[in-house]
Amino acid sequence: MRVHNRIAYAFLAPYLLIFATFWLWPIISSFLISFQNTRVNPWRFAPSMNWGRLVGDPAFYNALYNTLIILVIQVPVMIALATVMAVFLNSPLLKARPLYRFAFFVPVVVGEVAYAAVFRLMFSADFGIINKIIGTVGISPVSWFDNGTAAMALLIMAVTWRWAGYNAIIILAGLQSIPGDVYEAATLDRVGKVQQFFHITLPLLKPIILFCIVLSVIGTMQLFAEPFLITNRGGPGGATETLGLLLYRQGFTSLNFGYASAIAYTIAALAVAISLLNLFFGRETK
Amino acid sequence: MAGLALTNVIKRFGALQVVHGANLDIEDGEFVVFVGPSGCGKSTLLRMIAGLEDVSGGEIAIAGNVVNDVEPSERHIAMVFQSYALYPHMTVRKNLSFGLTMNGNPKADTQRRVAHAADILQINELMDRRPGQLSGGQRQRVAIGRAIVREPQVFLFDEPLSNLDAELRVQMRVEISKLHKQLGTTMIYVTHDQTEAMTLADKIVVLRTGRIEQVGAPLDLYDDPANQFVAGFIGSPKMNFLKATIHAVGQEGVTAALIADPSVRLTLPISSRPDIGSPVILGIRPEHFSDAGTGEADLTVAVHVAEHLGHTSYVYAGVSGEPLIIERPESRHAGDQKTLTVGLPAKRCFLFDAEGERLR
Ligand SMILES: Nc1ncnc2c1ncn2[C@@H]1O[C@H](COP(=O)(O)OP(=O)(O)O)[C@@H](O)[C@H]1O
Ligand SMILES: [Mg+2]
Repeated sequence: MRVHNRIAYAFLAPYLLIFATFWLWPIISSFLISFQNTRVNPWRFAPSMNWGRLVGDPAFYNALYNTLIILVIQVPVMIALATVMAVFLNSPLLKARPLYRFAFFVPVVVGEVAYAAVFRLMFSADFGIINKIIGTVGISPVSWFDNGTAAMALLIMAVTWRWAGYNAIIILAGLQSIPGDVYEAATLDRVGKVQQFFHITLPLLKPIILFCIVLSVIGTMQLFAEPFLITNRGGPGGATETLGLLLYRQGFTSLNFGYASAIAYTIAALAVAISLLNLFFGRETK
Repeated sequence: MAGLALTNVIKRFGALQVVHGANLDIEDGEFVVFVGPSGCGKSTLLRMIAGLEDVSGGEIAIAGNVVNDVEPSERHIAMVFQSYALYPHMTVRKNLSFGLTMNGNPKADTQRRVAHAADILQINELMDRRPGQLSGGQRQRVAIGRAIVREPQVFLFDEPLSNLDAELRVQMRVEISKLHKQLGTTMIYVTHDQTEAMTLADKIVVLRTGRIEQVGAPLDLYDDPANQFVAGFIGSPKMNFLKATIHAVGQEGVTAALIADPSVRLTLPISSRPDIGSPVILGIRPEHFSDAGTGEADLTVAVHVAEHLGHTSYVYAGVSGEPLIIERPESRHAGDQKTLTVGLPAKRCFLFDAEGERLR
């Protein structure tokens, strides 16, 4: 038995080593670093310095506010959209289903830089196609990158575009696990299609949708690439700066790793807290 | 409550035709069983009656009204599915009341109907559980309960007992029969199990590859099958079929000689006049062999295996390679020898022509 175990661990060793070095240690180490003054050389233990700064830092509250705004608007909109897409994909009337499924999933596969570049082009104030299109219905051009609110909207649209299909595919799997004869039974019970959706489909999808929400919350809490690449490093003037971006600026622009670590832990803690809240409110009510 | 009429009903799935012109009348309050081997179109026929499948040709009428283009929800039928198809996220109580509630049925009436169904099916203790917390038999009761609260004109059952173990199956069979007596509603019941058909039905409809082979009361099908398929399908163990040829046709009837043992000749009192020498099939049920010397002919068979069940024995035997099952009631040692001689009572034998049609 013990020999067996030893051999098993020997096989696991390479993975465990990498896991320990590049996962476990950074997590522990950044926790320790968050209690150090990293603006002096060598670093010094200063337990309240970074955490104290965090509590009173307007830049942190700005980033937190932006992140939560995106979270509160983008996640529900995207999940609702994804559910609609999944129902559409699941429709027996749909032809060429694999094509649509592929099309919806593609944004996830596209590189962040490439998609950011395309979005910047499309939303360009002067020659972007989006302004041309809204111009045709009489809306004056929007300066997407100079107006803080518009920039936030742009971010939300971009993130939604990128991840809605991904969530739709997950929800589709959930839809397909609902047996068809349940709907047939409901039809014979004289329950209409819309009622079937709200009283059968949605309740049965609840665990899947919760899962998608938790995934999306975690993703949005870490949002970085889009504000960095599309809205010009959180521009205009910090209007789209997210916690992820603030972390990056503190850590890798200002090289203030202690403060960056504190922000990182805050992001993680918030993601966990919000996810738990979700699970708590979404749990099976007895 | 309502009767039904199927007129030349056809079903095609694309190019594949699976029901070939079914004609059938079902009386108000009748218990009708569709029986046939797997894949013969029983479910398809039932689902067309429910409106869950379109009718490709012909007409289905419920209570005298053609319903081909009537929505399933407007046909006043309730269906019990093989897989139960309960709403997994609802309690038993909600499963029963859901349809009524969604249709704005008055609350008091819904409660009354649910309570009534729960009483009939004895599921009062289960009302606050979810389907996942129920056994197969309990789920089946809930599924039936959901049909009862609808107070439909017609109940449809699609192999409702096939997921239950043998003992529970017998028990539920009796309960469904009782339910029919109690409610008096028209019921159409699909099964591939001839025992269920025999025990439940007022009228059995035997189906084969999308065609109705015979319609009749259980014992009529047993006593007077229209063809070899029905003869083989109804009755358990199956009827024995032995190859034979027409030896003579005369005043007393038709004389057939077994191919396996041409010395065995049997004259059946039938009026049809097949050609001398034409091939036929002689059918006799395992339970209809008599003691040696008491029939119109004796048959000696080689015994392979004998099963003694106490009240009766089944002897698995063969004659020149043709297999036979012989039931010998009250005879615990039948088949303990290497050979067995039994009598063939002509009255109990059937002749079928080469196409399997009955010679009468
Ligand atoms: N949706 C369908 N599409 C194509 N063929 C089908 C479909 N449903 C049933 N069939 C075919 O129709 C025939 C009858 O099926 P079914 O009515 O389910 O048989 P049973 O219930 O008697 O076992 C089978 O050959 C089956 O393969
Ligand atoms: Mg079937």
